[in-house]
Amino acid sequence: MVRLFASFLALACLMPLAASAHGPTRQKVVETVEINAPADKVWEVVGNFQDMSWHPAFVKTEGTGGNDVGATRTLTLENGGQIFEKLTKYNAEGKMLAYEITEVDVKVVPVTNYSASITVTPEGDKSKVEWKSAFYRGYVNNDPPPELSDEAAVNAITGVFQSGLAALKKKLEGG
Amino acid sequence: MAALASTAPASAEPKAAGEAFVTNQPGDSLSIVDLASGVAAPEIRIGGKPAGIAVAPDGRFAYLTSPESKELVVVDAEKRAVASRFKVGEGPLGVAVHPAGDRVYVADWYEHKLFVVDPVAGKVAGSVEVGQSPSGVAVTADGARILTADRDSNQVSIIDARTLVRTGIVPVGKRPFGVTIDAEGRRAYTANVAGDDVSVIDLAAGKVVGTVKVGHRPYAVALTGGRAFVTDQYGGTVTVFDVATLEVVKTIEVGEYPEGIEADPAGGAVYVACWEANTLERIDTATLEVVSRIPVGNGPRAFGRFLRPHG
Repeated sequence: MVRLFASFLALACLMPLAASAHGPTRQKVVETVEINAPADKVWEVVGNFQDMSWHPAFVKTEGTGGNDVGATRTLTLENGGQIFEKLTKYNAEGKMLAYEITEVDVKVVPVTNYSASITVTPEGDKSKVEWKSAFYRGYVNNDPPPELSDEAAVNAITGVFQSGLAALKKKLEGG
Repeated sequence: MAALASTAPASAEPKAAGEAFVTNQPGDSLSIVDLASGVAAPEIRIGGKPAGIAVAPDGRFAYLTSPESKELVVVDAEKRAVASRFKVGEGPLGVAVHPAGDRVYVADWYEHKLFVVDPVAGKVAGSVEVGQSPSGVAVTADGARILTADRDSNQVSIIDARTLVRTGIVPVGKRPFGVTIDAEGRRAYTANVAGDDVSVIDLAAGKVVGTVKVGHRPYAVALTGGRAFVTDQYGGTVTVFDVATLEVVKTIEVGEYPEGIEADPAGGAVYVACWEANTLERIDTATLEVVSRIPVGNGPRAFGRFLRPHG
């Protein structure tokens, strides 16, 4: 009986992954930063999909396809974890790009079905950068373990956005 | 109800919807938008992160699903207040009301069932097994059949509304989410999230008779004036196609993450809830342009029939 139960549990854990289902509540993280630099300068940095070096979390960006829709990139974290992403929209005039994660281990980033966009808006001589995302938590069924909860997912993405935007501001205002 | 309908003066032109009831999922609230003025009233707090919505045909009540608290929440549309709430299943999401108004159908994402709820008694009155992770629910206008989009089975279940027996299974595209039936009960349309297309189902034949390529991550479909309007979540667009030729007419840029979509019964407008943009947007069906963007609460989904007739 115990064995049967254990094997049922194992099956229950595997099934949703195989079906790539997700829970009903999508999460949203939006972070913005004001940068004392012209929007063109800011876009020169964040508008290059193939170079994420402005973000301190990523030690390497490798990719193909430049800034064309459909371009891909692989971001490598300091601990070796990797995130595979695809460019889904690119609007140079509107200074906006959108991308999605095509593959990531939930141990690296505890999210699924992740998509995001970055927009640079001129405000006189300054700029506003808005980074928006939509995603589900890492655990796709009811009652997730704490490390794969909605809160864990939101905290992880909020951390990535805040540290990235702070570094971007420093890079552009410092130079 | 039926007697009332038959004695009412016959009106050739359906009246325009008066209000939109928009579920704001992360905002945990309901925005009621006056469509004539384009203004949203102060949000009503719901709880449980509401997603699905079904406004009763007579407009007296709105039924909301709150997946996190596993509840069906009944809102009195006149009083602008939660009238009752009760547990339904493990992951209530899609919801629809029978045209008679006495039964509410709730699709359960985790239990792979469609629950039949008696909204007056506030309890589950029955259930029927469907495919994996049913999401969208729709009822034919004559009330005879219920359809569920069984997302992870890539199929639509057809259920006899009287006997609650599943009478048909129609294989469709990849990961169907929203399902919409035309007014005649002749065809149904599913938005296939993972296939970036829409399946067109002939209900009498019980099979797919066409597939239309749309934008990225389609979510739901609205029908009006011989055209289908499809929200493309990742695309940030609404794809419009002709239901006779199945040719795409136009792709309209809307707010980010468009989700719930419904056509005004009078035909002049289609309303779209944009989850990331926090707007309800009005598309003019003649010009196929967005003519207004109405701010609502945080993360509007409005998954279901969210338009309310004039009170």
